[in-house]
Amino acid sequence: MAVARAMRMSPQLRLASGAFILVWCVIAAFPIFWIAVMSFKAPIDAFASNPLHVIFGPVTRMGGKGLSVPDILIGLALLWVFIRFATRRLPVLVRRYSPFGNILVGWLAAALFYFAAFVLVFFGLLPPVMGALNGLLGTLGEPIIGLTLEHYISIWIEDGFHRNFLNSMIVTTGVVAVSLTVGTLAGYGIARSGSHLAFWILIIALVFRALPHSVLVAGYLPVFINSAEILRPILGELAPTLYGKPFAVIAVLVAINQPFTIWMLRSFFQNIPQDLDEAARVDGCTHFQAFRWVIMPVMWPGVITTGLFSFLLAYNDLLVTSLLLDAQNQTMVPAIAGFFNRETTTTDQVEAVAAAVSITAPLFLLIMVFQRQIVSGLTAGAVKG
Amino acid sequence: MKFRVFAAFVAPSLLLMLLFIAAPLVSVLWQSFHVTQVEFETVETEVCTPGFITQTCQTETRTRPVLDEDGKMVSTTSFVGLGSYRKLLEPDRFVRALGDLNWRGVMVIDFWKALRFTLAFTLFTLPLVVGMGLLIALAVNSAAKSIRGQIIFVSLLPFIITPVIGAISIRWLFVGDGILTALLEWILETDIAVLANPWSLEFLMMFYRVWHVAPFAFVVFYAGLQTVNNDAIESAVIDGASRFERLRYVVIPHIMPLIVFVALIHLMDAYRAFEEIIGFSSQAHLISLQWLTYDLLTPDDSGNRAISRASASAMLTMIGIVVILVPLLGKTWRDHKAGSI
Amino acid sequence: MRKYIYALAGGALMLGAGGAWGGCAFDNTVPLKSLTAGFEAWKAVTGAMSECGNVEAELDQEFRTKQPAAFAANPALYQIGGVSNGTFTPLYDAKTIRPLDDLVAKYGGQLKPNQLITLDGQVWAVAMMVNAQHLMYRSDILSDLGIAAPTNYDEVLAAAQAIQDAGVVDYPLGGTYKAGWNLAQEFVNAYFGHGGDFVDADNMPTVNNQMGMDTLALMKALSAYMDPEYLASDSTYVQQQFQQGKIAMANLWASRAAAMDDANESQVVGKVTMAAAPMGPAESASTLWWDGIVLAANMSDEEADAAFRVAMEGIDSEMVMANNDAAVWLIDGYVPGMSAAGAAATAADGARPYPSATWMGLMHTALGNGIAAYLTGEKDAATTLADIEAAYTQAAQEAGLL
Repeated sequence: MAVARAMRMSPQLRLASGAFILVWCVIAAFPIFWIAVMSFKAPIDAFASNPLHVIFGPVTRMGGKGLSVPDILIGLALLWVFIRFATRRLPVLVRRYSPFGNILVGWLAAALFYFAAFVLVFFGLLPPVMGALNGLLGTLGEPIIGLTLEHYISIWIEDGFHRNFLNSMIVTTGVVAVSLTVGTLAGYGIARSGSHLAFWILIIALVFRALPHSVLVAGYLPVFINSAEILRPILGELAPTLYGKPFAVIAVLVAINQPFTIWMLRSFFQNIPQDLDEAARVDGCTHFQAFRWVIMPVMWPGVITTGLFSFLLAYNDLLVTSLLLDAQNQTMVPAIAGFFNRETTTTDQVEAVAAAVSITAPLFLLIMVFQRQIVSGLTAGAVKG
Repeated sequence: MKFRVFAAFVAPSLLLMLLFIAAPLVSVLWQSFHVTQVEFETVETEVCTPGFITQTCQTETRTRPVLDEDGKMVSTTSFVGLGSYRKLLEPDRFVRALGDLNWRGVMVIDFWKALRFTLAFTLFTLPLVVGMGLLIALAVNSAAKSIRGQIIFVSLLPFIITPVIGAISIRWLFVGDGILTALLEWILETDIAVLANPWSLEFLMMFYRVWHVAPFAFVVFYAGLQTVNNDAIESAVIDGASRFERLRYVVIPHIMPLIVFVALIHLMDAYRAFEEIIGFSSQAHLISLQWLTYDLLTPDDSGNRAISRASASAMLTMIGIVVILVPLLGKTWRDHKAGSI
Repeated sequence: MRKYIYALAGGALMLGAGGAWGGCAFDNTVPLKSLTAGFEAWKAVTGAMSECGNVEAELDQEFRTKQPAAFAANPALYQIGGVSNGTFTPLYDAKTIRPLDDLVAKYGGQLKPNQLITLDGQVWAVAMMVNAQHLMYRSDILSDLGIAAPTNYDEVLAAAQAIQDAGVVDYPLGGTYKAGWNLAQEFVNAYFGHGGDFVDADNMPTVNNQMGMDTLALMKALSAYMDPEYLASDSTYVQQQFQQGKIAMANLWASRAAAMDDANESQVVGKVTMAAAPMGPAESASTLWWDGIVLAANMSDEEADAAFRVAMEGIDSEMVMANNDAAVWLIDGYVPGMSAAGAAATAADGARPYPSATWMGLMHTALGNGIAAYLTGEKDAATTLADIEAAYTQAAQEAGLL
């Protein structure tokens, strides 16, 4: 009883802690919220110095584009429904319908469907319905907040941003898959070896991680461009030009990310009792079989967490992708950076903001879906230093 | 585990790292000791370029590279020892300025200027990141269970957002009459130009870095807090430990390995600071070591780049990071030895 | 950014491969790739090239880094390149681009003589547009205050003072003073305006002199009237400040002129007038730039044939008529509008072409990295210029130039 009382926080502390969390959440979300607001405005509003103009968008509104009171109410209600569904119903559905052991695939499919449904409802269904409704409502139906989807339309439909999206998906999927495959093997080997060599590999990997990426990337470029000539004596006519090839970028990003992956996974493996693989070995398994059939099944939390970090690295990379990919294979981040370069117009910049918000959306979804896995994965014993 | 088995498990990962990190690293090391010079010749050339209406032609002396029969530029590569390092460090000027106790004189040398910023940036943000991460983790841990999920979600946003976009979104809040600058100007009733002063820029860049990395520290620490042993806390309570003492003597020692881990990752990443320089266009006032390397490597319009000095700068950056990491690595080494016995 | 290309490529696919499509006079069957910068004019030109089919256009901000290496590969990774007088140098010096004389004779009938970039009697590039930094000013503000349009830098400073006293805008001047390339370019303009030369006959630097000092002093005097964040403002930012009515005068690129009258972005439509770049004490304080097309040396003659024909379609009169205000075109069919007036007047004042030479690249870098320290007050003018010369000399020695 006394213990429980001592554990309880005093009201002052509770208040301070709550206030701190609130302030932090505002600081964390505000910049992102703000670029999201900008992306829906006409260029003049988006870069207005008066914040109220940015929020209410008078110029955008004069262009006849905006949200009326019913729009906002119905939109918010729908948004709430979507969020409730994602946090309450979706996990249950996924667990029920995904095939055993493939919960990851289940989640991916669910996330895709969910995203598609979201886009369809908010961008396909809602605008015409609300347009008709506002027409009926008269003055109440007049827009009070300027809002336009034109930047999103020009990015995704006219600019063919979906190609960049697909390229990003190819590169990211590749990096996550290869990085985890190679990384779990190495992490397991190092965790179970315990030799000095294993330790030094770990340390050297860490030093590699410290290398400035701009040096590495500048070193790759001439070699990648001339790789066909360089490799011709060995591979003959099959020698590929690595420049502009997604698989080459995948290999580079995997290599750059290996040190971190190995470190994370090694700590996971260390927390799995060695008895487990020893028992398997007694039953006649080879090291690899023990790894594949006994250890991996209990490793999923760690693999998912590490995979998320790989995903973030690959998805967000600019330095490697901007230099080593050509226009046909360009991913989203360098494409957006292209809009922000010195030869752009204000409209280009707002379109870039729309693109920036667009590429943040999948990250939102990812964190929504995997948030619990990250925490439970890290809790399960990653990173013991 | 036998060596052969170990080798088989580690080989794919090692191969990738050797190919894409170690090999470039060796070439960087080699280039930092060598200089490749192209052979030039001077010729009289008639050059015609467009005016607005007419063509302007003039004969000029033009210095151009000599080409061999294959059409390749003739170049010679020579060993220069530490020459490129010396050009970068400018030891004479450095020592002279230091002898005169002239701090400004030191700060006009690019390398030392970059080193000063990089070190300050790394060492100042480290306690902030760890402290903020810990505070958020403790606060979230004591928040009501029902809203924890949402708080964690919002808290992770700055970490997952693409760094370039995060930096630009914060820059827009402050650049020119950005809304936050306008707010500050309204409160303080003075004219503020955040990007025009080295100190406000440095503050903004550190703010961005903490904003971006604290969520990572938070989520790692938060996970660690879930594994704190309740018995240990309860026995501390029975011993009459205050809340702060429980934190100091039970919780923090428990998550110490995580703090070391976060510090390790943060030191490495902050020492490579680069996005901040580009994102906040600070190169007139503040530069970082990786930016210096990048700038030396960026070709100018005529295609020249200072590869040797860039390599030297990269090697110095790496040496710096190793020096900073040694204390932490020493701890890992002791843990390893303790574990392997 | 690449909306035109994809939209057009998509359209071409839908219509099927049969027959030439849209504005292209022939049906291209040779796969071609182009690598250019990404500003408005290149969007227009590569868009028109894509109409011929089988053209993949890459508009890339990294083109400076990629072009020399990609053109040196055998076969070249890109057949068509976009260059300016700055970026032309490394390709020409390495001879990774081909002479175009026979192709011009065969397919280039419509080209005007001043489009042909000729060195030693051979055509190496075909220019499509010129660009220059020139004065743009708010004619409404200047006429309200009774100030005549400034023609030299003394008048610019006087006008700036008058505007500041009147307090009608946030800052009288805008400047593309972002540390690095932009800042160096401003120095180049002003130093030429003082009649200076950057190197002597032996490629030794010659900026540490009275003209260099005067140039720095002028830049500092101008910067006093600018947004204090001038060392972080590039052309896009200055253009935006103009569009938002925050500045009254700026030396800005001709290719930016049309944006002032774009009603979707600008709040000062019809109020900005284009004039010649201000004169320095000696001559026009601006440099003339051209942008044009080169073809890679390392490709077959059939490819070169196709690439040249596609390039000609990209810079034909039809494209110009559709994008008249995107640039100051050199191509037949261009109607010099209001936005070209500044560039034309600057050229008429005798602004020098930006030097296409190896030393200029090195000098530009040394200036871009060195000048900021003077403007922030870290170094005095003499030290700044001495350090710039030292940085240039060091880089030039490393490159083998000295």
